[in-house]
Order: sequence, then C-alpha cells, then structure tokens
Amino acid sequence: MSTSMMDETLPTNIEKKESKLAKIGQFREIGLLVFIVILVIAVQLRNSSFLTLENISDMATNTAILSILAVGMMLVLVTRGIDLSIGATLALSGMIVAQFVSNHSGTSPIVAILMGIGIGILCGLVIGGLVSYLGVLPIIATLAMMNIFRGLTYMVSNGKWISSYQMPESFVGIATSKLLGVNTLIIIALIVYAFAIYFIGHTRTGRQIYAVGSNPESAKVTGISEKKVFIIVYTLMGGLSGLSGVLWVSKFASAQGDTATGYELSVIAACILGGVSIAGGAGKLSGVILGAFLIGILNNALPLLNVSPFWQKGIEGSIILAAVLLNVMVKRGVERNNLLKRRV
Amino acid sequence: MGETVLELRGITKKFPGVTALNNVSFVLEKGQIHALMGENGAGKSTFIKVITGVHKPDEGAMILDGKIVSFANPNEAKAAGIAAIYQHVTNYPDLNVTENIFMGHEKVSPTTKRLLWKEMHEEAKRILQSLGSSINPKQDMGTLSVAQQQIVEIAKAISTNARIIIMDEPTAALTARESEELYRIAEDLRDRGTAIIFISHRFEDMYRLASQVTVLRDANYIGSWAVNDISNDNLIVAMVGREINQVFPSKTHDIGEEIFRVESLGKVGYFADVSFTLRKGEILGLTGLVGAGRTELCETLFGIEKYDSGFIYLHGKEIKFKNPKDAMKQGIGYLPEDRQKQGLILPWGIGRNITLPTLESFTKGGWLHEKTESLKAKELAEKLNVKAQSVFDLVSSLSGGNQQKVSVAKLLMTDLDIIILDEPTKGVDIGAKSAIYEIINELAYQGYGVILVSSEMPEVIGLSDRVAIMREGRMVKVMDPQEITQESILAAAMGEMPQGGETICLPV
Amino acid sequence: MASKMEETYVHRKLEAHKPFSTKQFFLQWEWLLVLILIGVMVLNTLLSPYFLNVTSLRDATMIFLDKSFIVFPMAFIMIMREIDISVGSTVALSSVVMATAYNVLGMPMEVAVIICLLVGALCGLLNGLLITKFPELSAVIVTLATMILYRGIAYIILEDQASGNFPEWFGFFGWGYIFGVPFILIVFVIIAVVFGLLLHKTSFGRRVFAIGHNDVASKFSGVNVNRTKLIVYTLAGVMAALTAVFLASRMGSTRPNIANGYELDVIAMAALGGISTAGGKGRLIGTVIAIFIIGYLQYGLGLINIPSQTLMIIIGALLLFAVIVPKVKEMRR
Repeated sequence: MSTSMMDETLPTNIEKKESKLAKIGQFREIGLLVFIVILVIAVQLRNSSFLTLENISDMATNTAILSILAVGMMLVLVTRGIDLSIGATLALSGMIVAQFVSNHSGTSPIVAILMGIGIGILCGLVIGGLVSYLGVLPIIATLAMMNIFRGLTYMVSNGKWISSYQMPESFVGIATSKLLGVNTLIIIALIVYAFAIYFIGHTRTGRQIYAVGSNPESAKVTGISEKKVFIIVYTLMGGLSGLSGVLWVSKFASAQGDTATGYELSVIAACILGGVSIAGGAGKLSGVILGAFLIGILNNALPLLNVSPFWQKGIEGSIILAAVLLNVMVKRGVERNNLLKRRV
Repeated sequence: MGETVLELRGITKKFPGVTALNNVSFVLEKGQIHALMGENGAGKSTFIKVITGVHKPDEGAMILDGKIVSFANPNEAKAAGIAAIYQHVTNYPDLNVTENIFMGHEKVSPTTKRLLWKEMHEEAKRILQSLGSSINPKQDMGTLSVAQQQIVEIAKAISTNARIIIMDEPTAALTARESEELYRIAEDLRDRGTAIIFISHRFEDMYRLASQVTVLRDANYIGSWAVNDISNDNLIVAMVGREINQVFPSKTHDIGEEIFRVESLGKVGYFADVSFTLRKGEILGLTGLVGAGRTELCETLFGIEKYDSGFIYLHGKEIKFKNPKDAMKQGIGYLPEDRQKQGLILPWGIGRNITLPTLESFTKGGWLHEKTESLKAKELAEKLNVKAQSVFDLVSSLSGGNQQKVSVAKLLMTDLDIIILDEPTKGVDIGAKSAIYEIINELAYQGYGVILVSSEMPEVIGLSDRVAIMREGRMVKVMDPQEITQESILAAAMGEMPQGGETICLPV
Repeated sequence: MASKMEETYVHRKLEAHKPFSTKQFFLQWEWLLVLILIGVMVLNTLLSPYFLNVTSLRDATMIFLDKSFIVFPMAFIMIMREIDISVGSTVALSSVVMATAYNVLGMPMEVAVIICLLVGALCGLLNGLLITKFPELSAVIVTLATMILYRGIAYIILEDQASGNFPEWFGFFGWGYIFGVPFILIVFVIIAVVFGLLLHKTSFGRRVFAIGHNDVASKFSGVNVNRTKLIVYTLAGVMAALTAVFLASRMGSTRPNIANGYELDVIAMAALGGISTAGGKGRLIGTVIAIFIIGYLQYGLGLINIPSQTLMIIIGALLLFAVIVPKVKEMRR
C-alpha cells in the first residue's frame, strides 16, 4: 500500500490552530521591558512625583539589593533547586557585621563587605554540602537552614537591634555615599552584574551550571560533576546574600533579628518574572534584572498610587502565580506548534 | 587497512540479577564501519557503555592501539579518542549548538581560562559545513529537528578528534532521506580513517554501510562475519537464535464476533486516521518501526492520552474514557512497555502490585481486607507461575520474566474484554519468553481480544491471527493470516517493496 | 486461568502470610523516636522541677497540639512525594476570614467557623488543582506562590489589625476540658486515629503510597492520581483551617501574621516521624511520637526561659537530622 494514496484520503477534521502564546516566549525580555515602560507611564500620569530624580534613584538603590540576590537565585533555579534561606543568611551576615563594626568603629567598609561575603559563603557552603553530598532536597535543606540561620541571628543579637547611631559613619556610607556621582549600591550591583555576565557566559563552570540544569543525565555522561555545580551555586547564592546583608544594614541603618524576613519570596518572584525556567536549564541575566526592576517599581509605585501597603503581598503572590502559569502556557504552545509541524 | 584500533577480549559485565555481557569479544579496525547487531536486550547498550567508560567491566580486557586500557569515567574514554552518539539524543536543549558540540572540551584562553566563543562558533560552523550541514551554531539545540541534532552529535564527536565513533541507532528516528544523509557522513568519516561502530536494527543500514558485522544475543558473543560472507537468513538465525515458529505454542483459540472497533482515530503530531477491528479471542499483532506511533496509539486506547479525532466502539457502542481507571472499567486493559517505570511498583511486594488496579474488590465498608487480598494475589501469581517464595517478596528482586508475569496478573484481576500488551517480552530472557507466549495464547483462548504490540518479528508472526502495521503515525495495513510473511510486514513497515534481500530490516 | 497451563507447569506454591520477625520489629525508626521522646522528658525533668506532673504535661498539649492537625495530611502529601508550604498561610487566611465574618459581617460564630473550614478547603483545593492541572510546575513553586497569595489576602482583609472578641463558648476549643481531658487532645486523638486508619487500612491510603513510589505506574494501574492528590491537598487545607479555629480560640484573636513558619514545624514533625521526603514511605504512629517530641521540647525549654529562637534552631536541626539519617544509611549500603 502506498503512502501517497493514504494522504489523499485523509480526513482533515483535526483543528490545526497554532498557539499564539508561543510567540511571547521569543520576545520575553522585550515584552517585559514594554510592560515596565507602560507601567511607569501609567504611574507617572497618576502621580507626577514618580519620575523625579530623587524617586528614581531611590528605586534604583532599593532594587539594587533585590537584583543582586536575584542573580544568585537565578543560578540556583537553573540547577532545578531553590533557596529559601537567603533572607535569613542576609540577616545573619548583616547582624554579625553590624555588631562587629559597632564595636570596632575603625573598620574599613571594604573589610565589612568582605566579612559579610565570607559569612554568606559559609552559610551557602553548608547548604551546598547538604544538597550535593547528602542528597537532601533543596526545599527541605534551605527550609531547615532558614530557621537555623534566623535563630542564630536572634542568638547573636540577643534580641537587640543595632541602630544607626551605633554604626560608624563610614559603614552607613556604603549605601549612601556616591562614587562619580552614582550611588555606591548601584555601582556594587553593576559590579555583580559584570561579574555574573563573565562567569555565566564566559567560563566553563558557568556553562556547566546550565548544562546540569538543562539535562543532568547528559551532564553526567559529559563528566560534569553535579556535586561541584551544586556546591558552587549555593555558595555563590550565600556569598551574594552575605554581601546583601551588609548593604541592607548599611542602607536601612539598622540590623534586627527579623531583617528581610520573607525577602526570598520577592527574589524568587523577580526570577520567575524574568523568565527563569522552574524546570531548570534556562534563565537570562537580562530577564532577571528586568524582573527585579519590575518588582522594585511595583513596590515603589503602590504607595504613590495610594494603594495600601497591605496589598503588596497579595499582588506579589498573584504576579508569581500568573507568571509561572504564563510560562507553562507559552511552553505548551511551543510544544503544540512543534507537534503541528510534525507531519503525520 | 586492517590495522586494529580497538580490541575487546572476554568482557563480562554483571548487574544485580542480570548478566549483561558474558565473555564478549570484539575487534575493530581502522577505517572500518563495523555493525553491531542483536535483539533488544542482547547487551548492545551495555557493550557501548563499557567502551565509553560509563561501566567498568567485571572481567576481560580492552586493548586500544595495542595497549591495555581501563577507563574510570567517560572523560578518559573521550580523551583516548572514543566518542559515542546515543540512541536517545543526549543533548542540552536549552544551550546553543556550539555549546553542545564543545561541552566538556571547550576552547579556553590559555591565560585567563575565558571561553573563546568566537573560535568555537567558527570551528563549529566549519565542522558542520564539512558534514554538509548549514545549521547555525548559535541556534538553540532544542529548536533543531532530530536529524539535525544527530548531525550536531556527530560534529561533537569530530570536534573531540575521535578516532572511534560509536553510533547507537542513529537512524531510528530519521526519514529515508535523512538516513541517506547520515550514511554519506559516516562514509566520509570512514574514508578519513575513523573507525565506526554502527548499531542498528535495520538490515538496510548494515548492508549499505558496514563491512563487518558482529552479533550479540542474550549477553553472549555469537560471532563476527564480513558482511558479504553471511546470508540474511543466517544472520537472522544468529540474532534470534531459533527458527521462527519453533517456540510458539500452536493456536488453539477460537475467534468470535467483533468486540472492538477503532475508527479514524487521530492525535495531533502522533498518529492520524487509525482504523481497525478486533474480535473476541483474537490476537492482533501491531508492529512498525520505532517512532511509528504504536505506543502512543495504545496509550490513547487506554486513556493515558487524549485523542483529537475519531471514535472507539466496544461491543458496537461508542465508548469514551477520561483516564485509565475509566478504560479498565469499560473493559480495556494495558500492559505498558516499560515495566519498571510504568508497570510495577518495584519496592512493593508481588501481592500488592497484583491487587493495585482492583483494590476496591478487597474493600468492605472502606476497609481493606489484607488477608483476602494476599490470598487472591497468591492464587494469580501461582497460576502464572511466578517464581518467588512469598507474595511479600519484593518485585524488584524478581527476574524480568517474573516481573512481567506479575504485570500480566494485574490485568487478570479485572473484568476485561480487551488486553493490550506493549512489548511483553522486552528484556525478558529466552526461557521466560516462551512462558509469556503461552500466557498470551491462553488469554486469547479465554476469550479476551488481545492486541500484541511487538517489534520482534518472530513474535508477531508466530502469535498473531492478523497483523496491523503502523508507519509514521498511520496504520498502513492490516494483514489477514494468508498475507503474513516477514517480507510483507517489513515492506509495509518501511514503506517500500523489498528488492531481493537488501532492504530487509528487522524492525526491533 | 484454567486449562492448559496447569498441565504445562508444575506450580510453585507461594507464601501468603507474612512471618513475624523480632529483629525487624525492633529495628523500626519509631523505637528511636520513643528513645528520643524519653530523652526529652528526662532532660526536661532535670532542667525544670515543674515539668513532670500530670497537670503540667496535660496543659502543655493544649499549647502545641493545634498545628499538629496539619501534620497528618502533610504526611500524606510527603508520602506522595509532594510538598505544601502554604499551610501556615492557609491557617492565617482562614482564621482572618472567620474573624471578619463574625466581627465585621456579623455572622453567628458557628457559621463563621464553618466558613473558616470552607476557606481552608478552598485554599487546599486551589493548590491541588494547580498541581494536577499543571504537572509541569513543581509543588514547591505552586505552594510557594499560594503561600504568598493566601497571606497576602489575609493582609488585605485585616491589614495589620487583630480581630477577636469571639463569644465565650468559642474559647472551649482551645481551653476546654471534657472529663478533665483537654478538648484539643481528644480531637487530636480522633484525627490521628482517622488519618492513621485512612492511610494504613484503606484502599485510599494504599493508593497514596503507590503514587509516592511511582506515580506513572500508579496511573497505568488505574489509580486516579489527580483525584487522590486533589483530595489530599484539600484535606491539608481543611486541617489547616481546623488549626486556625483552635489557634484563634486559644489566642482569643487572630491577625494576618499568625501561624508564620508553621510549614516548617509541620514538615519537620512529619520528617522526624519517619515520613520520607523521597516519597512512598512512612507511618503515622511515628509522626504522632514526633509531634510530642517537638511539643514537649518546646514546652520544656519554655519553662526554663530558653528563647523561642533557640527552638527554631533545634527544629531546623531536627528536620535535617531526620532527612539525613536515612541518606547516610543508604550510602553505607
């Protein structure tokens, strides 16, 4: 029996609709950018104090920390993991460093920052070890360590706050000073981005992170060590959280036991908005930074629009949910289109 | 030529409960395309994994360029110039072509260890062009067709300067034209002095390319011949190890009235316009090449997947089902292809596995009666002659054949009209195979309508009353008993008429 | 199957009764838990003279048992190799809705309690629907999103206010006794028994285990995987709402930040109780012991004024201990 005959007698009762959603997948960053622009214009029309230089720089400094953490979280998510402990790591590093500088007022800001990074790296190493060498699920490991780090923060502080008057001016200056007319926080964030661009795109290890996330089986056959990759991503995440701890305490000029509680959720939201795939393997720095900015703008714009601050969490939750569902729909659309292309 | 590059002597590899390779030998020469053939489960995959350093052999020696080597990991094999292209493409769909080619042996700047993207893209482009392909190296791997991905895999092997390339079923998912492209590339590589181990189920591939063929069967080395020196029939005997019909029970079942009818069933991207009927007490063989859509069709008939068009009738009435439970309730049972992943709960005992589909029948007022349950399970397991001590023995501790019997026992618990068996003897040793054939025949005798999906030609011919053949998502032919011959089935499955012995392929 | 086959084969007989093994019996995880529980009791007695008396032990249960209701459905969820980190937020949302229904909408408290349970069920159902309709998404992400969403809605409703002034009888949930036994303890025992029987003695429970070991094979065996997941997630929501009732009753009021971090305590109790995070394994008796271990530890440390933050560390460490021990055993093998 010949095929050609079969083809001619084929009933064509199958609906052959191409999914339009699939197109969104190709233009995610641009789409996000357009969305941000529209949002900014809308907010500006409602409240003209939005696009003032002061407010913009305020937004940028606020978003700086969020985006630094999002860079690390992106790598964790790319390996199909998650890190819920970053808020606690941030608090612990911020608290220890704040105590140290309040007792040693001569500490150079650079030393303080390095100290924070060091503490964060230690925290990240513990998690990386649990996940890679003991095979603990990332959600369980980081949930447990979140509690432990948070508890340690309270223990270290004895339940007391460290306030601005206890901190040396040079320390508070980390977040408030300017370098070449640009806020230091923003400069630090830019340095982190630059480092990330190089690390992710131009080193073997950076690409191995994506390889493990994209196809762990192949990675094994290629001889890439999954354990090494896990250790690296959680340690990096820890280091960035530690850095953020110092920046946070310096910016808000106070270190508390409950600093940044639940901040990990905003960070994860930024990543998901930025198109990082929860299934691993995919995630672009540009997307994640845009995602962080969107969250930052929303947080800044809500009070200006007279939206109660208590709506913030609800909106954030809805956005995450909508973003993950959109991701799935786009993916399904792409798959459906691929199937339609296959001639049966 | 004639210079030996790789020799394996007396390689044995055992896994818990299975001997995957038993005293296997192999000689590969420079510039040779060497076909490795054997049925599913003959040990080919393990053989490749030993060569590529994924598995360490328990016994035997591997000699590369006259020196005994032992690879601790795949990287060492790669460094020694051995590359493998696997059956299921193993790539990184989210990464671009260049990265897929260079993953593991990237070009880096000697001083800063920075990745040299420009050089890699250029090199990738050069290799791809040398293979006659115009794939853009910056494209994401996931956006390429299977054939294109296959070419990238070959480019990857070339980029490692591999002297030995293993191709595991590279043509399985390719069209005839794409296969031809691949043959050209393989020949080109051979002429450049690369030794190629070519694994395929298609006789066509072997005749077209290989100069030497080595056959494995049931983990054993059967022999190695120059392709010109061995006849088709002898090769089949070497692979199958028995004459067709030899091990099959005589057909004793009576075929009754039509009970099942499928009309122009379709699922976008998988199959279209599938129609056939099934009668009571009939065994309908369903065969076709890998990727022809058989498993997708069966999963749809069992409610795992949804169909987009067409109708299914049972006892003359149209039926619809939302899920497997529904399908079973209406009388359709399915023995899935992958018994370890889809069929059984390995960490559970025999009894619990058997009763899982029919737990309700052991519940009274919500309570599970474990005693009745294990007695019933015992009864069925004994009927199917499952070799174990107790119904509490873990299924994971059973041999493949006995695991399959447990899977079949699950179906016998329910009140079914139709039983679909998807590759029931895959990975089952010879002895257990005949026991399963016996069981299949018995099922028909009992009055079930049986759909037997199989890639093993002797099985299909030996057991089926009629044979349906699928090709590229369509049911191209349903053969009546008098039409069934190995040649006619193969011709229908391949989509071309056999010309002498040359296009023969065993669609396993 | 009759006929031919019986002639062909000599049939092997299979054992259908499980022999009792003393060694196996004493090698169970639960014995270790019993030892830990005894250790906790001894430690507490040594540290505080007030700990070891009936009244003290009895009243302690009233404080720690409320969140334990969620442990049982969480055990089901973890056995199915899933997770739910939204339970704390579900407690908050359902209790806030209950308080609002009573205080703002002026509904009778009985109706408010029913609404509370319904809200919990809805939260669980939404989790279940998202997880089953979008199998591409992991339960971690789905419940992470709903965790923020549910608490977010609670904040939208109550902002940062507390809402209380419940009728006097409502206090019975948290503070009442029946024949000298705390009401919450009675409810706890009933729930534990019901869930224990459901898991270990019914076909539903058997299917939960099947899904945890191999959801694909379960589906192919006719198990309605999605429906089972939906039911279990909904149950988790209902139990979270029940927790909300008892918690609001004990506290006398509720606020949006109530039950913060409950998900960790609940997951830790389940994991310590021997519920494997890899799915398919666990017994509810273990979780009951684990609930008392963590509960009495919390209570005892409170008696000697150890801050609650220390307890956070201990719970985190216990969770890690519970998941690492089986891994280490596995690696040794």
